[in-house]
Amino acid sequence: MEQLFSGYMIYSLSFLLIFIALATILHLQFSIGGIVNFGIVGFWGLGMYAFALLNLKLNIPFVPAVLLASALTGIVSMALGRIILNLDDQAVLVGTLAFATIIEYLATTEKWLTNGVMGFGTIKFPFDLGANTLFVYFLVVLVFLILLMFYVSKIKTSPYGRLLLSIKDNEILSQSLGKPTFRHKIIFFTVTCSLIGFFGAMTAPLYNYIFPRMIGPGITFTIWIALMLGGRKKLLGGFIGILATIGLFDYVIETVVPIPTQYAEMVPNVKFALYGLTLMLVLMFRPLGILGDKKREVKG
Amino acid sequence: MREKVLHLRNVIKRFGGRTVVDIKDITFGTHGIEGLIGPNGAGKTTLIGLISRKVSMDQGQILYYQDKNEMDISKKSLDELSRMGLVRTNQIIQDFESLSIRDSLLLSLANSKHEKFYNIFNEKELRKNTEKEIEKYLDYFNFEDPDGHALSAGEKKLLDIIRCMVLKPKFLLMDEPTAGLPHDQTDKVIELMKKKTKEEGMAILIVEHDLDLIWTVSENVYFMSEGEILIKGTPDEIRKNKTVINKYMGESEC
Repeated sequence: MEQLFSGYMIYSLSFLLIFIALATILHLQFSIGGIVNFGIVGFWGLGMYAFALLNLKLNIPFVPAVLLASALTGIVSMALGRIILNLDDQAVLVGTLAFATIIEYLATTEKWLTNGVMGFGTIKFPFDLGANTLFVYFLVVLVFLILLMFYVSKIKTSPYGRLLLSIKDNEILSQSLGKPTFRHKIIFFTVTCSLIGFFGAMTAPLYNYIFPRMIGPGITFTIWIALMLGGRKKLLGGFIGILATIGLFDYVIETVVPIPTQYAEMVPNVKFALYGLTLMLVLMFRPLGILGDKKREVKG
Repeated sequence: MREKVLHLRNVIKRFGGRTVVDIKDITFGTHGIEGLIGPNGAGKTTLIGLISRKVSMDQGQILYYQDKNEMDISKKSLDELSRMGLVRTNQIIQDFESLSIRDSLLLSLANSKHEKFYNIFNEKELRKNTEKEIEKYLDYFNFEDPDGHALSAGEKKLLDIIRCMVLKPKFLLMDEPTAGLPHDQTDKVIELMKKKTKEEGMAILIVEHDLDLIWTVSENVYFMSEGEILIKGTPDEIRKNKTVINKYMGESEC
């Protein structure tokens, strides 16, 4: 049990916080804004790479580099949004998925900048408090996650949230009530994607060293599965879902459960198979996730 | 007579080779409530669609008058039109499935100042400022559960009309507003329409198959057939007109 309280636990928990943040932003984008973002990892990776490059290659200090990386992710997502956000859901899905693939490829092919598949580092924490550095950084991430959750919970009962729901439900009707829906969607997409970029930048020091394989589509799928599992319509859906997927497998099973070495390498593969199975069961018996109601709402 | 609100000049819409709407010169809004009637396929819904920018025009000009300013609305988007005061109710039932009846009205009453991603603490202020207005409508129409969803088709239709009314439009297009509404609610809607046109200067154009409604509420009626507006006049003139009787009501005078 000792290792539960070791630095490794704080390290794993920090990652959990980051992924809970991503799942919460996805909940905001999908269940309130109606945007099917299948490229979360792209925005996250862009924020992470942009931050690392600014911080290491241009020697920009931590805080301004994080802000610049988030802003850059925002600008890129705004450009992407202008192209895809007036199309239908499937197009948005494919567009964002393609975007994430482009980011992954660019990170691989632009060797002069990113050192290709080898990756680059070392990204340092913004402060050095000796043995407590990681723990304090964990607390910083936690504070940002709590702020994010508070924001999302507030949005739900605000005029802005109502506007987003109206666009999700019936965009033309919302337009006919005088709402410039396309502009609102672009602004919303820009803001939420720069938030993803922000958490991407915050992830970089935890990884220390970054390379393209980290930003593969698996992360997008895991976060989607987590959100569907936890309850896509609930604020805590992402939280519960991430605990039940990444929390359970990457942390509890890999660190706590004593798995014989000869089976250890099977874990990641079994993990994805189990994610899939769990998702199927959830969709069959609890379509709205663990926190959602048992059945789909009956439409009036 | 009032000032005109809309002026259509040489408006033409073709689908394939067929001309569906062909209007030489017509003005709307010079009376409080105006009616548009005509047989099926006359082009009424297309005309409404042209005015509300749901259908694109092939040719012509639609001018909108606001505070003595003349504006060509053929390049305006749906939401711009709505903010300018040109609003339409829907013929086919439309609703927001995530919003309760009250939420729907709050949405309608919120303006762009309320709806900013960085402003999430203004719910109370909006509710306070709009409470009277919303309660007035909810009481008037006796919704069963204003904090629930509009359930029946009638409630949804009614909600659609109220959502438009609270926008305080200058010109309201109503496409079959009372189809599917219970009688007592129809009477209330009519009373509301009369009140709005008298007290707030709203102009309303109704498209309706229910001719009794047209004869009782309209001050001016347009008769449309085969894409053209053939005749306009008071309800009495229209119902006695030979062409209207021949083309629309059949020989049996009704």
